[in-house]
Amino acid sequence: MRKLYAMKRILYTFFLLLITPTVFSQKEQFPTATISDSLKQNANAVVRLLQTDITITSQRNMTITTKRVVTILNEKGLSAIDAMEHYDNKTSVKSIEATVYDSFGNEIKHIKRKDFRDQSMISGGTLFSDSRYIFLDYTPTQYPFTILYESEKNTSNTAIIPTWMPLNDYFLSIEKTILNVTFPQNLGFKKKEINFNNFQIKKLIDFPTQISYSGNNFMAQKIEEFNTEKTNILPKLMMGLEVFNLEGVDGTAKNWNEYGKWFYENILSNTTELPAETKTKILALVGSETDPIEKAKKVYNYVQQKTRYVSIQVGIGGFKPMLAKDVDRLGYGDCKALSNYTRALLEVVGVQSFYTELYGSPYKMDIQEDFFSIQGNHAILTIPNGDKYIGLECTSQVAPFGYQANFTDDRNVIIIKPDGGEIIKTKNYQDKDNAQNSVGKYEIDAMGNFSGSISINSEGSQYDKKSQIENMSPTDQETHYKEYWANINSLKIEKKSFVNNKSKVIFTENLEISANNYGSISGNKMLIVVNAFNPFNSIIKRIRNRKTPFEIQRGYIDSDEISIDLPQNYYIESLPKSVEFSSKFGEYKAEYIKQNDKKIIYKRTMFIKKGIYLNTQYEEYRLFIEQISRNDNAKIVLTKNQ
Amino acid sequence: MNFKKLFISLLFIFFLSFLNAQEYKLGKVSIAELEQKEHPKDLSAVAAILFKKGEVRFDYSDDKGFEMVTEVKTRIKIYKKDGYEWANRIVRYYIGGSDKESVSFSDAVTYNLVAGKIEKTKLKNDGEFDEKINKLWGQKKISMPNIKEGSVIEFQYTLRSPLIGSIDDWQFQTTIPVNYSEYITYVPEYYIYNPNYKGVIFPKVTVEKNNKFITINSKERVSNSHVTSTSFSSDKIDFVETKTTHLAENMPAMKEESYINNIANYLSSVSYELSIIKYPNKPLKTYSTDWETVTKKIYDYDDFGPELNKTGYFENDITAVINGLTVRDEIIAAIFNYVKSSIKWDGYYSYGCNDGVKTAYKNKTGNVAEINLMLTSMLRFAGISANPVLVSTRSNGIALFPSRNAFNYVIAAVEIENDLILLDATEKYALPNILPVRDLNWYGRLIRKDGTSAQVDLMPKLVSKEVNNLSFSINKDNAIEGKIRKQLTDYEALEFRQNSVALNKEVYLEGLETANNNIEVSDYVRDNDLDLSKPIVETYSFKDNNHIEIINDKMYISPLLFLTAKENPFKQEKREYPVDFSYPNQEKININIDIPEGYKVETLPTALNIATGDDIGTFKYMIGTTDNKIQITETFTMNVAIVPSDYYEVIKDFYQKIIDKQNEKIVLVKI
Repeated sequence: MRKLYAMKRILYTFFLLLITPTVFSQKEQFPTATISDSLKQNANAVVRLLQTDITITSQRNMTITTKRVVTILNEKGLSAIDAMEHYDNKTSVKSIEATVYDSFGNEIKHIKRKDFRDQSMISGGTLFSDSRYIFLDYTPTQYPFTILYESEKNTSNTAIIPTWMPLNDYFLSIEKTILNVTFPQNLGFKKKEINFNNFQIKKLIDFPTQISYSGNNFMAQKIEEFNTEKTNILPKLMMGLEVFNLEGVDGTAKNWNEYGKWFYENILSNTTELPAETKTKILALVGSETDPIEKAKKVYNYVQQKTRYVSIQVGIGGFKPMLAKDVDRLGYGDCKALSNYTRALLEVVGVQSFYTELYGSPYKMDIQEDFFSIQGNHAILTIPNGDKYIGLECTSQVAPFGYQANFTDDRNVIIIKPDGGEIIKTKNYQDKDNAQNSVGKYEIDAMGNFSGSISINSEGSQYDKKSQIENMSPTDQETHYKEYWANINSLKIEKKSFVNNKSKVIFTENLEISANNYGSISGNKMLIVVNAFNPFNSIIKRIRNRKTPFEIQRGYIDSDEISIDLPQNYYIESLPKSVEFSSKFGEYKAEYIKQNDKKIIYKRTMFIKKGIYLNTQYEEYRLFIEQISRNDNAKIVLTKNQ
Repeated sequence: MNFKKLFISLLFIFFLSFLNAQEYKLGKVSIAELEQKEHPKDLSAVAAILFKKGEVRFDYSDDKGFEMVTEVKTRIKIYKKDGYEWANRIVRYYIGGSDKESVSFSDAVTYNLVAGKIEKTKLKNDGEFDEKINKLWGQKKISMPNIKEGSVIEFQYTLRSPLIGSIDDWQFQTTIPVNYSEYITYVPEYYIYNPNYKGVIFPKVTVEKNNKFITINSKERVSNSHVTSTSFSSDKIDFVETKTTHLAENMPAMKEESYINNIANYLSSVSYELSIIKYPNKPLKTYSTDWETVTKKIYDYDDFGPELNKTGYFENDITAVINGLTVRDEIIAAIFNYVKSSIKWDGYYSYGCNDGVKTAYKNKTGNVAEINLMLTSMLRFAGISANPVLVSTRSNGIALFPSRNAFNYVIAAVEIENDLILLDATEKYALPNILPVRDLNWYGRLIRKDGTSAQVDLMPKLVSKEVNNLSFSINKDNAIEGKIRKQLTDYEALEFRQNSVALNKEVYLEGLETANNNIEVSDYVRDNDLDLSKPIVETYSFKDNNHIEIINDKMYISPLLFLTAKENPFKQEKREYPVDFSYPNQEKININIDIPEGYKVETLPTALNIATGDDIGTFKYMIGTTDNKIQITETFTMNVAIVPSDYYEVIKDFYQKIIDKQNEKIVLVKI
């Protein structure tokens, strides 16, 4: 066996050598001195060569070899070694090794497979996973140094061809990168080039059985605040097959429609069977209700009461949901299992719903509409509602029915219908729907002490974070408010209560608070920052020569109306002037209305719009926010009666 | 009281205690437990451990000898959805080496109340997972079925271990309330274990001795020229078993607070470590009876003492390093720097060597022990009186009771006239007596060549300093423009170097601006990044719009500008644990302000001089004017690294007064 394997590898190597462009000769050296200054700029590490060779020999066999030579310039660049491979029962690591060179290119150390570490994939939420990874844990003895890493992996999972994205991190530059892919003509190989424009990438070969790209001199990217996701600006090549194998199941799909049909028939089939007892229970629960959405609300509530989220990634667990009857018995499952279980229950009461794959993250990530390949990382359930859709997050025990903000909202997803897949856009939370409306009052006594009360209503995307306060322990709630109102020192929470209106999706916080020395006394003057309850304190970092565009992903609107009682033995020396200004990023308005000598009404609106803006507009945005922040810090000056 | 009544109340008491006794057995979940909506003593609890019972026994078998068996029974009540994670349980077991541990779960059941009746759901195989984490550890996990708010779950697990050197931690306390926690150890007379108690609340401990026996079966083959016969014999051996019962009831949930060293130090728990083995007819073996024995034992380990005493790998190099040096401190510095620059730390803690000092020296990389033991022997070679010091790092907890596990790290110490110089060469920015913060954890234990040992105070006494010199004026656009020179010494410099030296300059400057309320920084210069003997010195010009306000004909200035502390770090009303500042520190600020032309002072903040008492903290704020300038001098000193929780109120109030003072404004008025 061993011999045979070795033979096979020699054949491959020979094959590759013959037809693929290799730039470096056998005796390669990578002295640090030859790195150009431009590549070192903003870089903690420089990839000297990244060569990826993907060989697909059949629908069920793909080999990926990686050769990565990277010079680590300093300790912040260590993660760029990136000598790591995942494996599981469908994927094996055939070989993995590394050699370390000093800055002159002299070999320091050779690291064999047995010196790599082998670990199971245990992450926070994962209960069980049979995938593991092998990685290099190297302690550098000097900087800079260069590491040559080589690996070969074999898998039957041809449905997932790794995306070629050589520049995959910030503060990393690339001197040279090569991609070679070979594949049988009959498997329907396809590719999509994304963000190639601003980078030196050459297409060397584009044959029916082979493609090849090379790239040179990719400069290091800096992290800049409000960056759009790096996958949206850095070059990558997505690849896929029309005839593939996914976790042991053969498949054929030219597009999302066909993929949906295949997935429905091969993966989702025979998963929704439920015990008769459960069916009876759910029918009784729905009773005489006829409206499908009302029925769905009852079923969703039932699922939220009955189940909990537990991650299980075993075998095809990565794609195939656990059987509905198992979820019914165990009362838990992962996102796929819980979505499909809800689908099974809805089926019992005659409500149509579609299993849905998507990329779930706070940053909105689309499934590429015009390019079918395995892209998602999460599953939800979609219910058609006229010409609209309602998305159900089945892993949450507390989310309101159809609530999608901040994780699955406003993005392309693939819904799996019996007759095929379809890309739809999920619910978009409009800027003005993401509202926080506050009404409150406070008074300041002669010592500058503060006491006040406020009622805050949060809706839309703002509901999400606020509603979590309700489930915190009293100590955590206290900590939360002391941080939320960090502008009020020595804050005491006198009273708090919450109303969580899930059907309207409004969360209300009612608070009574007090604090000492809020008014700052200097001599016979007292200064009071008017906006005590909702000052915008975030600082937008100043960035010189911003290179990348920036993005505000979700807009919002805050409005406050606060009445303020002033101390008796002081008179108003000055009141801030009411202001109103706007820009392409939003609007701000603050009004200071003097009711009488001792009473002021403060009204404030702050509106931020979502949008993608040019790098050159960043400074304007920063100044806009700074202007808001300065106005939120406006003070009343009081003078003591003599 | 008549008889009948007495009888009834007696009966009642009997009945109650009977109920109590019943309560702590698996399988006897009551309707009352299922109906309970919230924890009676902690309304915020998401779940509670109704009871947790552990038993540690030593089982004897002919082929394995004594094996330690830990059996744990748990009943947990889930009140809220946030408590669902308590329905998952992980138990790790050791699989490295020839002696492997094993774990098995049993009697795992979820109880729910459905229409007034108890519904039982048993855990089946598909809810149990076995996983090999790496070559040393495996783990078994269970995820209980059918969990709802109100569920009660029960499970039992048994951990069998041939490793009897120590008995694992038993935690009486955790992040949810624990109503009843009972832990019983049954130890045969052959072993003596030392307890290591941690936490603020101690369990009730009772000890009793019982007579036990084991039966040893042996077989003997006797053969003469014709016949081979096997004779079986069975010996009954009597021994005394010590039963130690630990009981803790109604333990409150643990809560995190800021400025804490390591919360585990305050969690109520007990662990045991083997101190003596006395098998019949064999000499006594001692392990950790007191600190002297513990250190001696560690010293005798192959990967410690013998490694320390190895020679023949560095001598030529060190001779060259110290060539021409005669002053003791110069020799120490030269060797220390040599080790720091030539052998890199691989990130592993241990007082035992892994590959050994020779291999580490050759490969230029090693663990803590290899690096610091090597350093010690090099210093000795150079004629310096150096010794290793065992340390328990912050993450490992405080070494309170004698045990080998109490330590996890080793550094070096040079004994000088009635004092010590501590050295840790794993940190490239460390200096003699400036250790990485992970080492600063109460006491260490110094081991001399003859095996004797002594306690070493690891907490720094030296006050680390930050000095800021600022001068600024107000420009025509009513913005503040000025210059600052900041100087950091000792631990302040160490922490700065660790965080910032490797950063890209542009990234550092952007961070500096953001951290300081978005001032605009220019002409930035920094000295002594790598010259550790000198303080870090930063100078730059800045522009600040945020600390000045013009209202009508007056200017309101926060004179400390971006150095003003905006909020009190101490927010909790009460505190249970000491406040840990890591090291004593002093912050000095000297400010010079030009009064703009056409303005004069209307009001100035007043001077302030306060102290916490007991020489813990002092604060001095002085302000004055000369000609057209205002001068401020502020000195904040925290003389100790750790402040006991009794002082919390005082410290919180002290900080608040400082913050109030720093936020006071200078008011200038147009002439």
